[in-house]
Amino acid sequence: MNACPECLAADVSRRSLLASLGVLGSTLLVGGGVRVAWADGPWQGDTVVVLSLRGGFDGLSAVVPLGDPDYADLRPTIAVPAPAALQLDSMFGMHPAMTALKAQWDLGRVAVVTATGLPDPNRSHFSAMDEVERAAPGSGIRTGWLDRMLSLHDPSGPFGAVQLGSTTMPMAFAGPYDELGMNRLADFALDGASDAADRARWTSALTGLHDRAGSALKTSASTTLSALETAAELAEYTPTAAYPDTDLGRTLQDVAQLIKSEVGARVITADEGDWDMHADLGRVDGGWMFEKLTDLSGSLAAFLEDLGPAREQVTLITISEFGRRAQENESGGVDHGWGNVMFVAGGNVNPGVHGDWPGLAAGALEDGDLRATTDYRAVLADVLAHRCGADAAAINAVLPGWNGEFLGVTSP
Amino acid sequence: MDTLVRRDVLAAAVAGLAGLFGVPSEPAAAARIRTVEKQIPLKYTYNPATGVTKVRTFRRKKVVVKFAKKWVLEKRGRKWVRIPYVWSPKRKALIYSRALHLALLGKGRPTPSPDPVTDPVGGDDATDPTPPPGPEPPVLSDNPYIPADLSRHVLRRLGYGVSPAGLADVARAGGPAPWIEQQLDPAAIDDGACEAIVARLPDQAEPIWEVREAIRTGEREGWRQLTSVHTGHIMRAAWSRRQLLTVMEEFWANHFNVTVPSDNIDESRAHYQHVIRTHSLGRFDDLLLATSMHPSMLTYLNNRDSDAEHPNENQGRELLELHTVGIDAGYDETDVLDSARILTGLSVDNESGEYEYKPWRHWVGPVRVLDFAHLNPTRTGGEAVVRAYLRYLATHPATARRIALKLARRFVSDNPPDALVNDLASEYLARDTAIAPVLRLLFESAAFRASVGAKTSRPFESMVATMRTLDVGPEESGIDAATSLVWMAESLGQAPFGAPYPTGWPDVAAAWSSTAVTLNRWNTTRNLVSGWWPSELTRPALRDRVLPANLPGTHGEAVDAIATALFGMPLAEEHRAAVLGFVGKTAGATLRSNSALVTWRLAEVVSLMLDSPYHHYR
Repeated sequence: MNACPECLAADVSRRSLLASLGVLGSTLLVGGGVRVAWADGPWQGDTVVVLSLRGGFDGLSAVVPLGDPDYADLRPTIAVPAPAALQLDSMFGMHPAMTALKAQWDLGRVAVVTATGLPDPNRSHFSAMDEVERAAPGSGIRTGWLDRMLSLHDPSGPFGAVQLGSTTMPMAFAGPYDELGMNRLADFALDGASDAADRARWTSALTGLHDRAGSALKTSASTTLSALETAAELAEYTPTAAYPDTDLGRTLQDVAQLIKSEVGARVITADEGDWDMHADLGRVDGGWMFEKLTDLSGSLAAFLEDLGPAREQVTLITISEFGRRAQENESGGVDHGWGNVMFVAGGNVNPGVHGDWPGLAAGALEDGDLRATTDYRAVLADVLAHRCGADAAAINAVLPGWNGEFLGVTSP
Repeated sequence: MDTLVRRDVLAAAVAGLAGLFGVPSEPAAAARIRTVEKQIPLKYTYNPATGVTKVRTFRRKKVVVKFAKKWVLEKRGRKWVRIPYVWSPKRKALIYSRALHLALLGKGRPTPSPDPVTDPVGGDDATDPTPPPGPEPPVLSDNPYIPADLSRHVLRRLGYGVSPAGLADVARAGGPAPWIEQQLDPAAIDDGACEAIVARLPDQAEPIWEVREAIRTGEREGWRQLTSVHTGHIMRAAWSRRQLLTVMEEFWANHFNVTVPSDNIDESRAHYQHVIRTHSLGRFDDLLLATSMHPSMLTYLNNRDSDAEHPNENQGRELLELHTVGIDAGYDETDVLDSARILTGLSVDNESGEYEYKPWRHWVGPVRVLDFAHLNPTRTGGEAVVRAYLRYLATHPATARRIALKLARRFVSDNPPDALVNDLASEYLARDTAIAPVLRLLFESAAFRASVGAKTSRPFESMVATMRTLDVGPEESGIDAATSLVWMAESLGQAPFGAPYPTGWPDVAAAWSSTAVTLNRWNTTRNLVSGWWPSELTRPALRDRVLPANLPGTHGEAVDAIATALFGMPLAEEHRAAVLGFVGKTAGATLRSNSALVTWRLAEVVSLMLDSPYHHYR
């Protein structure tokens, strides 16, 4: 989290920083102890966009197992009836609120992974989120998988890794790499310095005031000032697709702008919360889930459209901490569960529904939950291997302990 | 047992009597204030014929004293009181003089009899109350932006920054040394004003079951209860006179991090904070037991669900790695498993939310972790094994060293000298893990005094330091603005106790020098200086805070005045030029009451100066 690139060379070494973060002896073994070929040279991969659906996304509502004989019975008031769904294949259909994303599906830009999640169930929001984003189960590693991935390469300036929509960094960014957090791209500005002349005045005065400072402080001031200048110079942005007028829509528009501006973004994370639907999830034609899925689908579709040719170098993944219980509860909602859906979208996905469907029969459920037959790390590994050029050592560094099968969700 | 035989007291008594009759009651201006050891007699004899006091046993106490011309005065609360003690250079301590005591008691009464003055006896330990106890190490700064000013140093380092009220507090205490001594005894500090503000929040001492009930019935919202931990801490950091206690509370809460927010701790987390605060300057072994056996910790690190069949290793591992001996102590995975086994049974009552030992869950059989071994033969005896195990870990040399290093890193520098860490670790073990003596040794060390400007303020500290320097006070009533400050800290990337992992927030500059942190810090400064949000906080007019009523004649002098009000000294020449350039004026340009610098640009200029390295350090 927040460590600057220049600190690697400053008085306090990366090693002591890691020690202070309590990660010594863990990441160094993978991040620094093993020479990883992938780490040499500039980043060749896609810009990876990770959209976290916080609160526990009900994958069973979004990608509906229409062909599963137990589905309808488990959800008497909230099930999506087969005729209403947007058919994906013989087994699955999208929620009818997701017409925009279905159109992208039809263009071959969307893949779905079903029955995926943590290797073991964890039904606590925070602790499951931590587990998902650390992506190093059974180890003492305290960094996040994205930070480990970023740390394998030379930094690419302040926009190399950005969290949009919030200044609170996700656990996936925990570690020594210097990520940037902002609510909106337009917010990345010095308050009160509204035009170029003002910025010049501030830049000159702040530079002058820092002239006697130590190298680390001086560098962080000058890096920040130049990043502010870069952000200010980003042209007025006119998207080529209509985004929903929602937080998620605005955030993904910023993500697209950042990518198309070519300011070196390798990883962009964004959050979309409010999925914790214990009660009143709504019905197929309206309500909480309907509105949320309309927003999600519309925002993702606009993003994929707006990227244009840049889509060829972008892969987006959605992740949630857990899926939800197969059976609807007394309040017309669903409680915390396990297996879930992940969307993978971009210019180089292998369209279709991936993963092994364990079924919703009583005997197939784990404490009432859809099992996760696909370790979600298989999806991350797929993107790393096929879209980011990572070799086996690099994958092991980013996802220590994972040695499963690639799913082919994306194409190399 | 210490034994002391002296023949010197008469000389002291002579001096004392002279003082009694000749010295004004106010100490001389040249008085020297020191923290010294006072040897309070337990068993002693006094021979009135010779004036000799023979002290057989005594106890030691650290006191703040003022060496006046004739008397030694001890700081008691806010008063300076004459004491019948004299300085013994040989023992490097204050020693008791019965003769002097009689003289003191005789003040305003008939001269005590026998009159020691008529019966002088020379001593081999001749004393003079005036010489100070040894040379003090120099106050040094390597940082061109931070002056070697001890008062400001202690306010930044032992507290949350320099404020007008803080400087007044140090002055009232009699200087940095007695102020530190007061800070080490926080109960004696009158903090009623701040506690009245904190009382707007739920009482952290409230039993967990009551809080749980209030949340269950909907009388209180869980997230509000949880957020009150943040809010209370911000209030105390900004406005408490018990600055060191608040710093130590944050230090330990970070050491024993239970992330706010996390699952299922709504009802217990505030109480956890209360427990930490209670032990913050007490003993580490007590603190370790109190936190390890608290529902918040047991929930956060999953021990509440651990049992003999499936020991959950989370807390057993973190106990070793983070809370005590550290990962380099030489334990292995079998130690970790036994650590987890020892802790089985420590749990939480699901009804009340209170701590509960569940013997039926306890793993029975021999356990060994490092050099701790126990037969652990019964379920019911498990809790006692836990206590013994925790006390063993608390007094382990590796724990001593880790705590010493962490304290030295908090109070001296990112890479503190080994010698200091060793001294602190020895003191920690010698004092049975008592925290205050370790801190006292640290604050008296040459390394501490030579470390002015060596620590960087982290985002939260920077935010509070800005509030303190601007003299920002609480809102008139309620907690809305204080709660907004929580969001502010969060958007700065460092909500207190919000580190999303059990390690807590790092305390080295390199972890906090990113672009995001820098920009958020600058924008937060601007916001606080301008009073944009939250606007309900009270504050003096900016101009009154940073400029004298009679404005200086020139722009250069005005920048000097602002810098002196903020930093205690003017800016270096080229930095003054940078600020003047920012407002497009020369140093000699005449200042008028409507000049931009002192009107509409003042907030900008103050922000700029607070964004500079002059305000960057702790």
